[in-house]
Amino acid sequence: MRKLYIPKKAYTRLAAIAMASATLIGATGCSSSSPAETTTPLQELTVVSHDSFVISDSQLAEFKEQTGITVTLVKAGDAGALTNKLVLTKDSPLGDVFFGLDNTFLGLAESNGVVDGEAVAIDFGDVCMNYDKAWFAAKGLVAPTSIDQLTEPAYKNLTVLENPSTSSPGLAFLAATVGKYGEDGWRNYWTLLKANGVKVAAGWEEAYYIDFSGSSGKGAYPIVLSYSSSPAYEVREDGQSGTASILDGCFRQTEYAGVLAKAKNPAGALAFIDYLKSESFQRSIPESMYVYPIDKSIVLPADWSKWATVATEPYGSDLDVNANRKGWLSAWRAIFG
Amino acid sequence: MARYLRLIALWAAPLLFVGVLFYWPLTKILGLGLSAGVSGTVLDGNTIDSLWFTVWQAAISTFVCILLGIPGAYVLYRRRFRGRNALRVLITLPLVLPTIVTAIAFVAFRNWNELYSAIGMEHLAGSPVFWIIVAHVFINYSLAVRSIGGVWASLDPELEEAAELAGAGRLRTLISITIPQLRPAIASAAALTFLFCATSFGVVLVLGGGMVHSLETEIASSALQYLDLGKAAMLAFMQTALTVVALALSTRIGRSAVGLEQIDESHRMPALGKRDWASIAITAPVVLILIATPLVTLMLRAFETPTGFGLDNFSLLLTRGERDLLNLTVLEAAGNSLRNVAISTSLALLVGGAVSFLLSRDIRNRGHVIATWLLDLAFLLPLGVSSVVLAFGYLITFNAEPFALRASWLSVPLIQALMATPLVIRLLYPALQSISPEQREAAATAGATAGQTWWLIELGIIRHVVVTAIGYAAIASIGEYGAASMLAFGDQATLPTVLFQLISRPGATNFGMAMAIAAILVVLTYAVIALVAVRRRRPLTASAQ
Repeated sequence: MRKLYIPKKAYTRLAAIAMASATLIGATGCSSSSPAETTTPLQELTVVSHDSFVISDSQLAEFKEQTGITVTLVKAGDAGALTNKLVLTKDSPLGDVFFGLDNTFLGLAESNGVVDGEAVAIDFGDVCMNYDKAWFAAKGLVAPTSIDQLTEPAYKNLTVLENPSTSSPGLAFLAATVGKYGEDGWRNYWTLLKANGVKVAAGWEEAYYIDFSGSSGKGAYPIVLSYSSSPAYEVREDGQSGTASILDGCFRQTEYAGVLAKAKNPAGALAFIDYLKSESFQRSIPESMYVYPIDKSIVLPADWSKWATVATEPYGSDLDVNANRKGWLSAWRAIFG
Repeated sequence: MARYLRLIALWAAPLLFVGVLFYWPLTKILGLGLSAGVSGTVLDGNTIDSLWFTVWQAAISTFVCILLGIPGAYVLYRRRFRGRNALRVLITLPLVLPTIVTAIAFVAFRNWNELYSAIGMEHLAGSPVFWIIVAHVFINYSLAVRSIGGVWASLDPELEEAAELAGAGRLRTLISITIPQLRPAIASAAALTFLFCATSFGVVLVLGGGMVHSLETEIASSALQYLDLGKAAMLAFMQTALTVVALALSTRIGRSAVGLEQIDESHRMPALGKRDWASIAITAPVVLILIATPLVTLMLRAFETPTGFGLDNFSLLLTRGERDLLNLTVLEAAGNSLRNVAISTSLALLVGGAVSFLLSRDIRNRGHVIATWLLDLAFLLPLGVSSVVLAFGYLITFNAEPFALRASWLSVPLIQALMATPLVIRLLYPALQSISPEQREAAATAGATAGQTWWLIELGIIRHVVVTAIGYAAIASIGEYGAASMLAFGDQATLPTVLFQLISRPGATNFGMAMAIAAILVVLTYAVIALVAVRRRRPLTASAQ
């Protein structure tokens, strides 16, 4: 039997590792600023948002000029992940103010006591079906104008949409069908959609860039579930958009900002929300976040007024998505298996 | 007694690392989940189905990886030919791709419909589960090849040659002489592949259209859609059980390793020849079709613009994107990525190397065997537990000032190091186990201390495996999306998070830029791995002889 022998050299080396990891962990404790000691709390503000939130450096500088507040941005995933993270950390919130809870998730956050006061609407987007104009022109087929037609034989195997249990536009469209066909009719609509060869993708990225024929992905399906603003970003060399929206059967997602309960800087949070409602920020919303400013007096960019028409009668405001989400999704899962 | 104290002192650093970064947040979140109450619906049909799917798809993916990986390891590590080192790096690249990019790169395959119907495979090719398994093989093939090959390269070919001279066929030699020697490496590669496939999230989600359910996707939907932490915690316990079973099986298969003569890795391998046709016939299609085709497709996409081929996508990357979309330039994101890689790889290598060293020391009694096994398990679990659950754990654990990790950029490389450490251990530990004790004893007789033996002899013998471990630790960081996206702040974005920001918006410019980033990611990974291999090529063993 050999003796277990641990050399001195290895011993010191490992001790060094221990020191190093201890230092690393310690260092993180120090590097995170503790506002109470170093600066006046009111000069710093942490904004928690979903991944799609965009605010430019010049806008942050403008906000600092107006208020003296330096903003730190924390991104917390998509709207669903953001909601759940806010609920999970409500006793020790991730920041002072949130942006990006929409009308499908706000109820959940409010019922869990995440929001201090009223949430304020900042922007909205319409989740609508888009179609590839060139594809329909080449086939000599009339493009659909209503989601009713998607169950017709003429449009068999042409539609790709997002799974409502894994995608937020997917859930929005499911809610729109409940709004349009009612509690009695929506299951039947989806059964017909399935029979008509609709393809289900996990998320918007796959549906739009892998399966949809009208995007750079050049997929096989000429109809896709996207947003009414998407055609403004498919303007081709000839100045025409390659895609258009089906403006019936849309869902209006309104995005909110609000003060987080137990925020360290609630006054700063309110000032930030005011800034989000200011003309300066509202004007940048279409180009930076691909949604419409809540302030109707803002003039939309040229491409938008031409190609990104809002839905005429969107669903959304009258539906309690939060209360029904679980039931709708399990019924949907029963149809699609 | 003093010896045990010293042993405990040596284990303290790695245990502290994994304890603070993994077990503490995990315990907190599971505790919260269980205290929230577990509803009676946990063990419903959906859960059983997803558990069963998780197990069988991971088992098949692993089996295919190992089956294809053995001939691959032979060709790439046991034979010499021009371009061999480049191919070794090439097969590793799929691991770094974000899932959405893998899915885009796979479009090529999925559109070969005529081919599938011609060979009677149209039914299979229409099934999302088939593509999930293909993608798992695409991603994990290199794990089998490189971890088995690394050990194989250091085996003395004399015994095999003798067997062949005595009239044994190639296959016979492989089965009765070579495979027994490679058993620890094969078992370890299998365990690793199985865990990667069992906890795979993006591939199952994206290629399954969100309609194929595994334990991991069920955890994500209960945690992210319903905030049902009780259910998520129960499912995470099932994952843990799966990891325990996988490690137990792997240990059992890998045990009784035949520690045979090993030689300096730098001896010259025979050139690839006609007699190797069987291995080539299996390996060439895997490398050229399964692995190279999607990567080439991707590269071409990066140069595709609405007006033909060009460099537009790359020149756009020097800006902040059309309309100032990104909060930082891609160059800065690449800088963040490389900084994270440097930190997490060094840390994973230090901790993983120390643990492998300690685990591989001589085992003398039953208590010791069990202790070693439990320690091995303790360091493997971070690979087998849902990152969604862990991320939630971080949110509620590291929120107070002394440990305000969630507010620090350092949290990203730290989590990446935590994820890479089990990989490093799974690669180094079996390689060390394969070293015959006689080698060490010979060195000890010659007057070398155990430290010198470890540094000069053992590290030299497992050089290939060390290179592989560094490469995988680097990949685990470069391509990592979960931790970076969950915790990274605006100016701390990494290449994969920037890629995702671009591809989640419509328009040819955004898509083109995303594809260009994917190409940069691939090239950067290639450069890092190739660099590691070159840097380590100094003759470590020369001074020991």
